[in-house]
Amino acid sequence: MVLVLALGDLHIPHRAPDLPAKFKSMLVPGKIQHIICTGNLCIKEVHDYLKSLCPDLHITRGEYDEDARYPETKTLTIGQFKLGLCHGHQVVPWGDLDSLAMLQRQLDVDILVTGHTHQFKAYKHEGGVVINPGSATGAYSSITYDVNPSFVLMDIDGLRVVVYVYELIDGEVKVDKIDFKKTATMHA
Amino acid sequence: MASSPRSPPPAPTPEFEISRQSRLFAALSKKVIDLDELRMLAAQGVPDAAGVRATVWKLLLGYLPNDRSLWEQELAKKRAQYAAFKDEFLRNPVEISRQVQTEGHHNVNEEHVDNGFLHRSEVTREEHPLSLGKTSAWNQFFECSEIMEQIDRDVKRTHPDMHFFCGDSSFAKSNQESLKNVLLIFAKLNAGIRYVQGMNEILAPLFFVFRSDPDDKNAKFAEADSFFCFVELLSGFRDNFCQKLDNSAVGIRGTLAKLSQLVATYDGELQHHLEVTTEVNPQFYAFRWITLLLTQEFNFADIIHIWDTLLSDPDGPQNMLCDADPCPEAPLGRRFHLQPQAPAELPANEHQPPPLRRQQVAVSRSLLRLKHCCVCSAKAVAES
Repeated sequence: MVLVLALGDLHIPHRAPDLPAKFKSMLVPGKIQHIICTGNLCIKEVHDYLKSLCPDLHITRGEYDEDARYPETKTLTIGQFKLGLCHGHQVVPWGDLDSLAMLQRQLDVDILVTGHTHQFKAYKHEGGVVINPGSATGAYSSITYDVNPSFVLMDIDGLRVVVYVYELIDGEVKVDKIDFKKTATMHA
Repeated sequence: MASSPRSPPPAPTPEFEISRQSRLFAALSKKVIDLDELRMLAAQGVPDAAGVRATVWKLLLGYLPNDRSLWEQELAKKRAQYAAFKDEFLRNPVEISRQVQTEGHHNVNEEHVDNGFLHRSEVTREEHPLSLGKTSAWNQFFECSEIMEQIDRDVKRTHPDMHFFCGDSSFAKSNQESLKNVLLIFAKLNAGIRYVQGMNEILAPLFFVFRSDPDDKNAKFAEADSFFCFVELLSGFRDNFCQKLDNSAVGIRGTLAKLSQLVATYDGELQHHLEVTTEVNPQFYAFRWITLLLTQEFNFADIIHIWDTLLSDPDGPQNMLCDADPCPEAPLGRRFHLQPQAPAELPANEHQPPPLRRQQVAVSRSLLRLKHCCVCSAKAVAES
């Protein structure tokens, strides 16, 4: 039972002052084993805050991140799953399924986590799973102003992943979950 | 090391052994077992070869009723109760959420949907990992994680030299799991004392004996049986583990004071030496003896034999350690004079007592020896 927090596109302080209070009250240290962040934090304070939640922190570079040392892409293995991380502004057209599938094949991962569109998505495409945790602060994107704050928590348990989607809709936290298993058809 | 002035007692004759074993069998095969008789026989030590130790201990601790015909019923009831406890307290929140899911609507089978958005289902009843709700299984799971970690650490350190408890074999691992389960359920059922370091040491001999029961039907349920016997054993002196009662008459200080008095009655010179000359607080040497029932002072095989005697006391093992009258064979004690040792650390196992010979000693003598070891170790400590 490994808990992995996936979030990104916070755009603090430029587009949002902080995470929503209801999210912050739920994110306490000690529960989460890994954090993967798609990027666009943008400042060191946010990095430190995430580090305080969990020491195993992975970040990829978003186009507005002030720390230029984050990598463009990252891959890591958690349990039976290979996860890939990339901000997503590099993949053109933004949010395009086929282009992201190409990236997934390049990185050779089971689950690709990207952001940039600020819209939560989780879908299966050509043998892999792509998850976009959206924007944790609800910051506006280049595409739209209408953004609900959201993030994702994955519970990796053997060959099964339960993805909990946390969204703030009309001031209330709504939690959904998605269940899937790694099958032979997925990227080996 | 101490010089033992007496030559070791002669080994027991095989006839003596067999007669003791047969007396034990006779006592156990009665329809209604006479507990007093059993206690007397057990106090002399249960022969290893007899293979009845597990049953004897269960009877002495009151787990099995003395009417043989009720055994099946009782055992089935208790074991079912333990299984229920496990179900209630040890469930992984992941399993719970899986269960909830299958209870609810059946999801579209993802394998058949090759592409497209993954099906989302709403989370009901606050069952998500970040839940802060009191009733959430996840929240309860995280709250216990600290205790679980502590129990895990201590179980891993229990008797590291024994294959039964430590090592990479799946047997050792499953035994460790069982120990952890018992301790965790005990902690959850007793919010007052939860888990205190040392409980693992008291549980270990119990579990070992039950798991090594030659009767497979019983050995399978060793975890459940040792849970109830552990509770029974602890009930006599759980007050020692409760921090708030430390200073009261029933707490650990009170018990230490009683032991101190016992030493005074038994060997006044020693007592004087300890209290006045060297000002060694009984806390330093006796605390571990009492709370852990001597499990740290002797090797494991000896502990099992000592526990035969300890458990035979109708008032509980602690009573035997602290309250029993000094024996008329007091002069023997004086013969255990020890060479003064170089300043040693207080842990009493600096001086290993002479190996215990269980077969030959009568009840009073084994008791006596026990006390000697306690007192001698104290002497070693004091004279260092």
